[in-house]
Amino acid sequence: MRLLRRLRYLFRRKQSEAEMAEEMRFHLEQRAAEFADDGLPVTEVHLAAQRRFGNVASIQEQARDARGWRWLEMAFMDLRLGVRQLAGSPGFSLLAILTLGLGIGANTAMFSLVNSILLKPLPYADSAQLDRLFRATPQNRDGGFSPADYHDLQQGIAPYGEVAAYLAGEASLADPGQPAEMETAFRLSANLLPMLGVKVQLGRNIRSAEEIHGNDRVVILSQRCWQNRFGGRADIIGHTVRVDGEPHEIVGVLPVSFNDWRHFGGGEFFRPLGFDKETSADRRGASLRVIGRRLRHLSPREADAFIANFGVRLAADFPAVNAGTTWRSVELNALVAGKNGSSTLAMLIGLSGFVLLIACSNLANLLLARTMTRAREFAVRSALGASRTQLLRPLIAESLILALAGGAFALLVALWAGDWLAYRSTGDNGEQVRLALDWHVFAWAFGASLVTALAFGLAPALFALRLDLNNTLKSGARGTTGGRGSQRFRQILIVGQFALAMVLLAGAALFIRGLEEVNNRRTGWESDHLVTGNVLLPAARYPNPEKIAAFQRLAVERLQALPGVASAGVASFTPFFNWPDSRKFLLEGRTRPEPGHEPAVAVNTVSPRYFETVGTHLLSGRAFGERDTANSSSVLVINQAMAKSLFGNENPLGRRLGLLAGEKVQWGEIVGVVSDVVPAVADSRGAPFQLYRPSAQEPRPQVSILVRTKGVVPSTLTDNIRAAVSSLDPDLPISELKTADATIVRANYQLAVLRDMLASLGVLGLGLAALGIYGVIARTMAQRTSEFAIRLALGASVRDITRLVLGSGVKQALVGSALGLLGAIGVARLLASGYPGMQLNSVPVLLGTTLLLVTVALLACWLPARRAGKVDAMQALRAE
Amino acid sequence: MARKTDLLQGTLDMLVLRVLSRGELHGWGITEKLEQLSKSALQVDEGSLYPSLYRMEEKGWIEADWQMTENNRRAKYYTLTRAGRKQLETELEEWDRMTAIIAQVMHPA
Repeated sequence: MRLLRRLRYLFRRKQSEAEMAEEMRFHLEQRAAEFADDGLPVTEVHLAAQRRFGNVASIQEQARDARGWRWLEMAFMDLRLGVRQLAGSPGFSLLAILTLGLGIGANTAMFSLVNSILLKPLPYADSAQLDRLFRATPQNRDGGFSPADYHDLQQGIAPYGEVAAYLAGEASLADPGQPAEMETAFRLSANLLPMLGVKVQLGRNIRSAEEIHGNDRVVILSQRCWQNRFGGRADIIGHTVRVDGEPHEIVGVLPVSFNDWRHFGGGEFFRPLGFDKETSADRRGASLRVIGRRLRHLSPREADAFIANFGVRLAADFPAVNAGTTWRSVELNALVAGKNGSSTLAMLIGLSGFVLLIACSNLANLLLARTMTRAREFAVRSALGASRTQLLRPLIAESLILALAGGAFALLVALWAGDWLAYRSTGDNGEQVRLALDWHVFAWAFGASLVTALAFGLAPALFALRLDLNNTLKSGARGTTGGRGSQRFRQILIVGQFALAMVLLAGAALFIRGLEEVNNRRTGWESDHLVTGNVLLPAARYPNPEKIAAFQRLAVERLQALPGVASAGVASFTPFFNWPDSRKFLLEGRTRPEPGHEPAVAVNTVSPRYFETVGTHLLSGRAFGERDTANSSSVLVINQAMAKSLFGNENPLGRRLGLLAGEKVQWGEIVGVVSDVVPAVADSRGAPFQLYRPSAQEPRPQVSILVRTKGVVPSTLTDNIRAAVSSLDPDLPISELKTADATIVRANYQLAVLRDMLASLGVLGLGLAALGIYGVIARTMAQRTSEFAIRLALGASVRDITRLVLGSGVKQALVGSALGLLGAIGVARLLASGYPGMQLNSVPVLLGTTLLLVTVALLACWLPARRAGKVDAMQALRAE
Repeated sequence: MARKTDLLQGTLDMLVLRVLSRGELHGWGITEKLEQLSKSALQVDEGSLYPSLYRMEEKGWIEADWQMTENNRRAKYYTLTRAGRKQLETELEEWDRMTAIIAQVMHPA
């Protein structure tokens, strides 16, 4: 009620004022009438009434104070004044809002990224209780579990809570009348979805009876797959599709929230984790991923300790496989950003903070200069009796208006940046990074804007108020450049700006160069005219090595026969990515190391013409041939680095090497040495030791096919390649079939997005810093015109003046750049720790960046300094 | 004219509430009534009545609405609210207590 009355008063102030006046007038008239009745002369009654009433204006003032919000009214007044002031100098206002908006916009965009990746919990019930479990091996810190491990875990997990498992992979999906397509598909344990708290939107969940091989031919679709492949038809449940060539029944559809790109978002469809007897007893596999829901009273640390202890017990029970492994559990929510995610996000926030700092110092400079020119106004108002608070209040109001406008503009910038990011980060499957624009982001934008505008709006004001009033007034018509203190302050701001801009720019430039190097890295192979794709032979139709080997031999034959194909091959891994198959090995004739401490090598299985196809040079010995079959003796090819390190100057050819496979050792003879291959990825430099086996001696169901063309554009051959493979098996799609160059760029795509973000921040920083130094020099020029006029009149040349102006600006830019160089090296170090496969220490890039920055500074100073020559001495002096 | 006495700080509100407890009145009416009741012994700047009225309106002790006077002029009439009546009671009690104490001190029995 009271609030309503106050608000009504505030917004209908005119009416309330009128009513108050009327009420008092009525009183005065009544009193006057009474005086008239008492016989006072008509000329005096009004005066007498007023005397009796008291000072009308002062009483009205008291009355106003008694009702409504006096301070709010005052604030309105200040705001109105602020708007008028800002509108009075549109150039300044626009520049300030632009600076503020760009700086905070960049920052807000980065914050919204953090917000949607790190701050939003995963779409699972009570997701804070969920953990990912890992079984770390010396080769793979984030290793998975074997089916037997998982089985043991389930038996003894009660003190922890519950565990569920899944397998990531790909499978072909075909509807009658549609070609098969390779899709990302997960296999889930029956309890996974209930444990996560996810309910299907149609149909039913996987049943535990379906976790048995043979009963597992049911499929749950993702919302996306249901919409895109099946048009969202309502009668989808019970429909039969072919998965890896086998008929499967669709039993459910997941809700759209399950498509969260941070976790299961890539999955198109989901099948039960169906193990046959043999697989469930397997202890060596490491592909099973395990998620746990810990009991409510357990802390993440306690859970981790329990899991680690479990791992220790299992290692004691099965030392042959589990010795040297450490188990751990990590909160699921902590993993959503990916391996480098958190540090990259922290770096982005930090760098966008630099942009904001540059913007802030620009703003401080602008406001300081503005306050200086208004020093006289302040002095006069102060001399007329305005208190310090009264002087400051309109300035605060101005800052608030700037903050509001800047914050709004920043939101626009952040929105735009979010759209750009969503567009840029759209993957092959249409899954994209969605930046949630919730109240967190709003609060960040306006909060940052407010703090910035107030801090940098008030600091110069307080500074100006410290100025001696008398002096300001005495200095007459001349504007003031501010004392020595403010000059120094400005110089420090410029130095700081350039230091920050240098960090941003050099960091971005190093990253750009580093990514270019990664994308163009072709060490140990040639990408020219090379097309690659992936094929997965489903176990149902290729149940044994013989069938797999037969298919691979036929496929290579058909591909070789295609017109325009120079050579073709298959391999478990392409030369340009990491080979995740790491095995321990022994050398014949050497002492055997302690179990668990054997050296490791990355293994690739390749078809006879692989080396020729990818262009990896054979340095000595021979490549694999048709004679190397499953029945012939086991042969191996190793890379140069391995040969050098293991055998030094001895001839490695003919030596025997044994790969450890559980308790067994697979011996083979080294028949060739090839050049080293470095993967074109940023997160590692690849394994130093590389070993090849003939695919015929270890046929694997999942292979890459590699085709080198001659005389034709490689991309025109993809249809023929697909046709050749589907002539062997119509249910066998080839995924990622494109040129090696395109595959590499696609794989490093996210880095390209990061690169573009860094580049944007760098350019923004540079632009703002240039704007800052330009503004300061231009203002200095304007304020020192008369000084220059005198100098000119006394015989100084235009060049002297230009040099004078240029000199001071460029000096600061240079000092700033030098300081920034140190910061840039720090940023490069930070990046390098996240991306060990990237070279981020290019000296020419650093030199180039410095040069660019100094050039920009020179230009920004020279533009206003140029005017020095145009100073008309007579006019400038007369204007005094 | 009777001897004039300065109004005790804060008592104006109480007096106004007392006057209004007998029925609604406009500002001028309150002034007249106060004069009448105090036999013109109280000296107040008449205007200071108004801030007091607005303050009490703020506090919800009185309510105001515009009505016509007998002479067909628009005037703002104030009425006591329930809260105002209560306030008057407390202030009266307080006043009686105060005056009793003061009297006891000034004229010890």
